[in-house]
Amino acid sequence: MFGYLRIDKAELKVREYEAYKAVYCGLCKQLGRDYSVFSRAVLSYDCTFYAVLLMSLNRGCKGFRDGRCVCNPLKKCKFAECSDQSYSKAAALSIISVYYKLHDDLLDSGFFRRLPIYFILPLFSRSHKKAARLYPELETLVAEMMRMQRDAESGSETSIDEAAHPTALMLSKILCAEGADEPQKAVLSELGYQLGRWVYLMDAADDYYKDRRNGCFNPFLKYEKEEAVNRMEDALSVSLGRAFDAYSLLELTDFKGITENLLRFGLPLQQSRVVSKLTEVTDDKSL
Amino acid sequence: MTNPYEVLGVSPSATDEEIKKAYRELAKKYHPDKYADSPLKDVAEQKMKEINEAYDQINDMRRNGNTQSSSYRNAAQSKYYAVRVYIQRNMVDEAEQLLGRTPVEERDAEWNFLMGMCYFRRGWNDKAKEYFTTAHNMDPGNAEFKTALDNMNRRAGYGYGGYAQSTGGGSSDCSFADVCSMILCADCLCSCCRVCR
Repeated sequence: MFGYLRIDKAELKVREYEAYKAVYCGLCKQLGRDYSVFSRAVLSYDCTFYAVLLMSLNRGCKGFRDGRCVCNPLKKCKFAECSDQSYSKAAALSIISVYYKLHDDLLDSGFFRRLPIYFILPLFSRSHKKAARLYPELETLVAEMMRMQRDAESGSETSIDEAAHPTALMLSKILCAEGADEPQKAVLSELGYQLGRWVYLMDAADDYYKDRRNGCFNPFLKYEKEEAVNRMEDALSVSLGRAFDAYSLLELTDFKGITENLLRFGLPLQQSRVVSKLTEVTDDKSL
Repeated sequence: MTNPYEVLGVSPSATDEEIKKAYRELAKKYHPDKYADSPLKDVAEQKMKEINEAYDQINDMRRNGNTQSSSYRNAAQSKYYAVRVYIQRNMVDEAEQLLGRTPVEERDAEWNFLMGMCYFRRGWNDKAKEYFTTAHNMDPGNAEFKTALDNMNRRAGYGYGGYAQSTGGGSSDCSFADVCSMILCADCLCSCCRVCR
C-alpha cells in the first residue's frame, strides 16, 4: 500500500487526533517489539488505518499510556493500549507488504536502483519469515495479489478495472476476514474492495507522468492527458462513493470520528491533491 | 426483541418530533435507493426494515393505532428473469454465464443493463458505467436504466468533504431537468419510509 489512507488533521477533534497519534506510536512500538529496530521504518499511514479499523471493530482499545518516543527520547507521546491482535496484525501486514514491494522493485528497476535494495532485503527477510509464520493468511493474500498484478500488467489490453482488481481483491479479503457475521462480512468486503481499488488508482494517477517517461505499465496511459484526468476523477470518486456507502452500514463506536474523517475528508483531500497536481503540471519533466 | 428506542438511538422520553427526526435521519442513511444496485442492498434493506419496525412499534405504543406492514414491489418479469434472480442473490458468475448465451444481435438495452449490474456487483465500476450508458442510450425512456446511470454519476460527484474540485470537466453541474426528474423519481419510489404516509 502506498500511504494514501490518511486522515485530514484539520477536520479532526483534538482528542481524536491524539488518539490517532497514539495508535500510530503504538504500532511503531509493536513493530520494534515483534521485529527489529529497522522494521520501524516500514510504519505507514495505511497500516495505521488498518490498526484503527481493527481496534474499532473488535473494541480492542483499552485506554492510553504516557511514554516516550523510541526514535526521539526527548519527545513525549501517548500510546494506545490494545488487548487483542490489532497491532500485531497491522505490524505483520506492514512487513509483508513492504517485503513484496521491495521484491517487485527489484524486478522492475535498473542496476543503480537495485543496489540499495540488495542491502535492505536481507534485513527484512527474517522479519518477513516471522510475519508470514504468525499470519499465514495475510502472507497468502499479499503474495497472491502480487502474482495477479504481474499477470494483469503483462497483458496488452488491460482495462482500468482489471488493473485495479488484484489490490482491491486483496484488501477486500483482508477486511472481510474481520467480519463478525455475514452482513458485516459483506459490508467489509465491499468497503475493502472499493478502498483497495481507490488506492491502486490513486497510485496509478500519481505515477502517470513517471510511468509514461519510463515506459512502465499504467492503466491510464492509453488515454491522452485530458481524457485520462477525467477518467481518473470519475473512477476515483465512484470508488470512494461506494466505499462511503458501505462504511455507513458499519456500526462503529470506538474511533468513529477518525474513520469517518478519513472517508469523508482525508481521502477526498488526497484525491484532489493528486488530481490537481496532475492538471497543473503541463511540463512532464518537472515531475 | 430489541428495544425500538435503541434502534432509533433515542431515549424513551423523547418527543414524537425527536423520534420522527431520528427516524428520518436513519431512513436517509439506509435508503434503499442509495444501495439500489449495490451488493450491500440486502444489508441496507435489513437495516431499513429494522428502523421501520422500530418506528412503527413506537408509534403503536404511543397511539395504540394500527399499523400497516410495508409492501415491497417486485421486479417486473422479463425474459432475463433468471439473470435477475442470480444477480439478486449475488451469484454474478452464473448471471454472466446466462447473459453470455444471448446471441450478439439479440443483445438489447436490458441485456446491457444487466451486464452493467454484473460488473457493478464485482466492483468494476468503469465497465459497469459503460454498459449502463449503452443501456440508457438504447432505451432512454427506461427509468431503471436511467436510475442506475444517475447513481453512478451521483457517486462520481463524491464530495462529502467539500474538497472536491472541478478540474474543468464540468461534470458536476445540475440542470433544472435533473432536479425535476429527481423529485419525480423520489416521489414515485418513496414507498419505504413512513414519514410521508
